[in-house]
Amino acid sequence: MLAGERLPYERAFGFDEAVDSDCRPRPHYAALFEELARLPPPELASRERLRDAIFRRLGITFAVYGDSTGVERTWPMDLVPRIIPAAEWAVVERGLAQRVRALNLFLDDIYTGEAAAIRDGIVPRRLVVSSNGFVREAVGIRVSHGARCLVAGIDLVRDGDGTYRVLEDNLRTPSGISYVLENRAALARVMPALSARHRIRPVHHYASSLLSSLQSIAPKARGSKPRVVVLTPGIFNSAYFEHAFLARQLGAELVEGRDLVVENHNVYARTTKGLERVDVIYRRVDDSFVDPAVFRPDSMLGVPGLMGALRAGNVGLANSLGCGVADDKAIYPYVPALIRYYLNEDAILPNVDTYLLWEPDQREAALARLHELVMKPVAASGGYGIVIGPQATEEQLEICRKEILCDPRAWIAQELVQLSSHPTFIDGRLEPRHIDLRPFVLAGERIEVVPGGLTRVALPKGSFIVNSSQGGGSKDTWVLAEPEVH
Amino acid sequence: MLARHAEDLFWTGRYLERAEDTARLLDVTYHGLLEGGASEAGMAWQEVLDALQLSNLFRARHRHVTAEAVEAFLVLDESHASSIAASIGRARENGRNVREHLSTELWEALNSTYLELRAEGRAEELAAHPHEFYRRVRSRCQLVAGAAAETMPRLDAWRFLLLGRLVERAEMTCRLLRVRAPRPVGDDHQDEIHYWLVMLNAVSALESYARRFGAEITPARVLELLVLSPEFPRSVLFCLRAAETQLGALEGGVAAPSVRRALSRMRAELEYQDVAVLLERGAEDALERTRRGIAQIAERIEACFFATGPSPERHVYESI
Repeated sequence: MLAGERLPYERAFGFDEAVDSDCRPRPHYAALFEELARLPPPELASRERLRDAIFRRLGITFAVYGDSTGVERTWPMDLVPRIIPAAEWAVVERGLAQRVRALNLFLDDIYTGEAAAIRDGIVPRRLVVSSNGFVREAVGIRVSHGARCLVAGIDLVRDGDGTYRVLEDNLRTPSGISYVLENRAALARVMPALSARHRIRPVHHYASSLLSSLQSIAPKARGSKPRVVVLTPGIFNSAYFEHAFLARQLGAELVEGRDLVVENHNVYARTTKGLERVDVIYRRVDDSFVDPAVFRPDSMLGVPGLMGALRAGNVGLANSLGCGVADDKAIYPYVPALIRYYLNEDAILPNVDTYLLWEPDQREAALARLHELVMKPVAASGGYGIVIGPQATEEQLEICRKEILCDPRAWIAQELVQLSSHPTFIDGRLEPRHIDLRPFVLAGERIEVVPGGLTRVALPKGSFIVNSSQGGGSKDTWVLAEPEVH
Repeated sequence: MLARHAEDLFWTGRYLERAEDTARLLDVTYHGLLEGGASEAGMAWQEVLDALQLSNLFRARHRHVTAEAVEAFLVLDESHASSIAASIGRARENGRNVREHLSTELWEALNSTYLELRAEGRAEELAAHPHEFYRRVRSRCQLVAGAAAETMPRLDAWRFLLLGRLVERAEMTCRLLRVRAPRPVGDDHQDEIHYWLVMLNAVSALESYARRFGAEITPARVLELLVLSPEFPRSVLFCLRAAETQLGALEGGVAAPSVRRALSRMRAELEYQDVAVLLERGAEDALERTRRGIAQIAERIEACFFATGPSPERHVYESI
C-alpha cells in the first residue's frame, strides 16, 4: 500500500518504526499514513513554511559551537511524528524509572553512604575515583529523597529487532525538554487534523511536575512555597533558550552567577528590593562552574561560597554536584549490575553491548574489530569525538587505536547498533532516517517519566549521528493514551 | 525581581523608544524637505544630528552631511548604539536576556521587528521608499508597545519597561525642541513655521495641536503642547507624571524615596511653568536643564534599583 502512487516509502535495512518488513504500516501508524496521503505536495510545502515561521517568530533557535556564520539556527522539526503505542511505552516507562532509581541510589551510596557498591565489588573503586564526574567536594552533602539526579535524560535506541536499549545516561544537565514541549505545540498548529485523530498523552504539565520535584529538595524550614531559581551560564550558552523557557514556565527567576550572593552560608538573589533568600537552585551550569571559589577561580559563571551553603544545608541544588560519576561511560557497563544490586531486579532496558577497554582481554578483542565497533570517549557528550568503525578511514582508526592504547580508561567500544528508522520528509518525499529517543525522568518524592521525550533524527541518508549540534533534526513524539483500536 | 533583569527591561524600553523616535524624526525631516524647500537640506540634516547629539560620531564616519549619509548612519549602521537597527537589535538582545519576564506575544512582536529589519534588501527599500520604511519601523514599535500594554501584568517588569520608554521619550522631546529652540520673536517667519509643523508631525502632535489651538502655529503654543501639556502623551510633563506613577508603584529600592522626590520636584516645576516666562528667559537653556534633569533621574533609577547588594569585587570568598 505504501508503495502506492500518492505516498511512496521504501524502508531501509533494519527496524522501521512505522512499517513492517513487508512495508505495510504498523497498526498504530495507519491513521498517520492516511492523513499524510491527503496532503498534496504544495500543501506540504506550505505547512513546512508555516512551521519555520512559527519557530522563527518564537525565537526557537539553537547555537552551534564552532559555527561562526550565524549565531542561531531555527529548530528543525520534521512534520511526521513518531508514535509509540501505550503497551510498548509502559515497559519503557518502568525501565526508565527503575534505572534512574538505581542510579540515584548509587550516587547516594557514593557521596553520603558507605560506598557499598564498591565494597561489595559491583563497581571497581578506581573507575569511580578516576571519573571526571566524581566530585570529591560533594562527599557528605545530603540531598532530600536522595534525588541527586533530579532531571535525567536517558538516551534510548532500538536495535535491529526493535528492542529498546539504553545508549547512554545524561545525569548532569540534560537538555531538550523545551523542544519536546515546543514540538508538540507547533505540530498541533501545523498538522491539526493529524493530531486530532490520535489520543496523545499530554506533556504540558512538565513544568508543574518539575517545580514540585525542585521544591521537594528545599531546606526543611522554608515554608510551603520555597523560592526556586534557574541558574544559567548566560545568553551565549547553546541551551539558553531552554533555560529561559523553563524559568518562564516555572515562574522562577532566570539567574546568572553574578545575580547570586552568599552570606553566612545562605544564598541570596540581588533584586530591586535588595537581597532575597533563595531556597532551591535548578542549575544548568556544569559542576566545575558552580562555585569558582572551590573549582575554578577564573570563572565568572558560578557563585562564590555556594559550596558552603550546600554543606550547611541552606539551599537545594538540582542536579546535585557529582552526578557525572554515574553517567560516565566507563560506569555505564555496570548499570545493569547496579540495578540488580540496589533493587534486586533485572534491568528492564538492556544496555548496548560494550567493551571495557581498561580490561586487557576485552581491549584485545575490541582492537581487533575496531572497524566494526563504535568508539566513544568516556568524558564527552553531544556526539563529539565518537568514531564509528564502519564509516571511519584507516587513518582515523589508527589514531583511535593509538589513543586507546595511550589511555584505555578514556574510551569504551560498543557494538554498532543499527538504529531504527522512521519515515521523514526529505525534500517533500518520505524517506527512512535513523532516530533515537531521549525521554526525561524526574526524581523527587517520587519518580515521574515524561511520556515520550525528544526523538532526534539523523538527517543525512544512512547517518547515525542524531545530535542537534551535529546537524540532527527532531520529531514530535506521541505516546498513545490507550491500546490502539485495530 | 532581579536587579539585572530590571535593568534589561528598562533598557529594552529605552531602546525601543529610541528606535521609534529616530524613525519619526527622519521621516518628518525627509518629507519636510520635500514639501518645504525654503530651508537648506544640509542644515536640516545637521539639525537632526544636533538633536540627537551625534554630530561628532557622524563626522568620524562621514565627510559630508547629506540625506543619504545621515540616513545610512541613523538607520542601518550598527557600529554605534543610536541607529534604528542597533536600537532594535539591543532592545531584542535585552529582551532575550529577560525572555521569561516577557509575554510570548510581546517577545514575538519584538523578535519579528528585529527579523524584519534584518531581512535582505533593507538598504534598497530604504532608498526607494523611505516613508514606507519609517512608517513600518514606527508601527512595528507601536505593535511591541501594544503587545506589552495588553499582555504584561502591572507588576515590576512592566513598570521598568515603561519607565525606560518614558524617560527616553521625555529626553528625546527635549532634544527635538532644543535644536531650534522657540524664540519669542520671528513668529511669523515662514521657515520657522514650516519647521514647527515638521516638529509637531514628528511627535504625532499636529492633530492635537490643531484641535487645541487651531491652525495658527506659534512657538509658544508648540512649547505649551510638547512640554507642558498634561494630556498629550508625548509631552515632557505627561511623561514625567507617568514615570512618577510607575516609580511610586515600584516595590522597594533603598534610595527610592530620594529618586521619587527628585522626579516630583521636576514635575512640579513644569506644572507651574509659564510659557511666556519660559520664552522670555530663553527656552533653550530651560530645555537643556530639563533634559539634564531627566538624564540624572535615569542615572539615579539605575543606581537605586540595579546596583543592589555587595558588588562581586568586595565579596570575600569563604573557605571550606
